Amino acid sequence: MRFLLALLALTTGMVSADGGLAVQNAWIREAPPGASMMAAYLTIDNGSDQDNALVGVSSPTFPRIMMHRSETVDGIARMQHVERIALPAHGSVELAPGGYHLMMATPDPQPVAGERVALTLHFADGGEQQVMAPVKKKP
Amino acid sequence: MFAAALLSACEPPQPPHLQQGTLLPSAKPVADFNLIDDKGESFTLKDLQGRWTFAFFGYTHCPDVCPTSLSMLAKVMARLRQEENLPSLPRGLFVSVDPARDTPATLANYVKYFDADFVGVTGKSQQLHTLTRQLGILYAKSGGDSADDYLIDHSAAIILFDPRGRFYALFNVPHDPDKIASDFMLIRNYYEASE
Repeated sequence: MRFLLALLALTTGMVSADGGLAVQNAWIREAPPGASMMAAYLTIDNGSDQDNALVGVSSPTFPRIMMHRSETVDGIARMQHVERIALPAHGSVELAPGGYHLMMATPDPQPVAGERVALTLHFADGGEQQVMAPVKKKP
Repeated sequence: MFAAALLSACEPPQPPHLQQGTLLPSAKPVADFNLIDDKGESFTLKDLQGRWTFAFFGYTHCPDVCPTSLSMLAKVMARLRQEENLPSLPRGLFVSVDPARDTPATLANYVKYFDADFVGVTGKSQQLHTLTRQLGILYAKSGGDSADDYLIDHSAAIILFDPRGRFYALFNVPHDPDKIASDFMLIRNYYEASE
């Protein structure tokens, strides 16, 4: 536990001072018991004059977080792995159900509604931001 | 006026105007199939009969589209539970098109999380195909890092079976639980008047 706290403090300490990016409404969908995968969602506002991109997400709770995009074309739902999510200058990108999302294998013990999980977002310009994402039971 | 009323009473009921659903021009009988339910028991055409059934096709390794659709379907059920003129609630059926990874036990845990009355089924590829091809439901593996780590592209539509087990209507995305619940009541009234 002490190690985790230390890790958390370290991670928090690495948060960049880039005021141009604001991460909001982060949440993790609670998974059914035993479900192998979980998804997380959030909104990123890029208030700066520079284009940027989300290039990865890490967390002490989830060993591997992938970025995916769901889309339904001609009635077929598809999910694709993406390497980066573009964040245009003065734009806003929403990771939301049915679109971009973070996908991760469910850890043991499984995070349940009410818990909060630290996510660190890594950006193309080298910046990082940490958010605390509540686990929620909702669509 | 009396004659007009008599005439209209004799006319066949008109198909309802639906907000989200598409009614088949005529209910399509479904040939028998043999799947396995989340208790490990056989699930065939007979099990579709006697009640309306909403069916969604997906897989439990799907973290985004499938939970969203099943939560939405659970909301449809919650709306319909409040309907006083509905003698029995439709069945909510989740058909896993990933039998290699979705066992009956996995399915039971998964579907009951969304609604205690939901039923999960899966089956051998050939039997799944026997059902899906009759409904125009498509699915195929895609991507993935290894034999156990893959994604599945799948139809996102929700299929409605009538109490005779016939393919009666479908609901394409985007799904709105209020619209689907009110469409269902119109469809059911139309069915009752037509049969």
